[in-house]
Amino acid sequence: MKIEILGTGCAKCKKTKEIIEKVLKETGVEAEVVKVEDVEKILNYGVMVTPAVVVDGDLKTVGKAPDEKEVRKWISQ
Amino acid sequence: MVEDTKCSCGSANVAIFPCVGASNVGQLSNKVAIELEKQNFGNLMCTVGIGARVPGLMKSAEASERIIAIDGCPVNCARKTLELAGFKVDRHIVISELGIKKNKDKNLKDNEISEALEKTLEILQSE
Repeated sequence: MKIEILGTGCAKCKKTKEIIEKVLKETGVEAEVVKVEDVEKILNYGVMVTPAVVVDGDLKTVGKAPDEKEVRKWISQ
Repeated sequence: MVEDTKCSCGSANVAIFPCVGASNVGQLSNKVAIELEKQNFGNLMCTVGIGARVPGLMKSAEASERIIAIDGCPVNCARKTLELAGFKVDRHIVISELGIKKNKDKNLKDNEISEALEKTLEILQSE
């Protein structure tokens, strides 16, 4: 599983990474977590506000840090 | 497409969708939207991306607290595109209702750009 966090390094982007890593640790799910800061790559997803999260190429959320429940749902699908 | 993405931290998150139609007023809608973004009224977003249901654009609009649609004329393509996609438009500007007559000239005049922007700002700031 590949989880991409789209964002240029703001507080919500950092929080998003923390939440995802926490849930991965708790659940034992193995995933590659990649921070995408390249604006062109972010725009290629059509994302205009960050943070955003992409799981295996599927855009899950935009403009907010997800809660743990959401992340658990994404990684169990 | 805008040149940069905006972090949603902190300030109010407003999405600006111009029609960018094939007329003077359609092109003026884009000029006005660009200027509004420069003045930090919100984030310019791609209206055609909403028509195409591009997931990133759809989710970016969903994440916005307010949506401003800027149409060139009363055909209202930008507003209708957003509404057909299920979005509520909080503020709607129609450039041709600001005293600028619609025509097919895409060579925009500086005075019309200034006039459209000034009147749009008056409307938005009067809220």
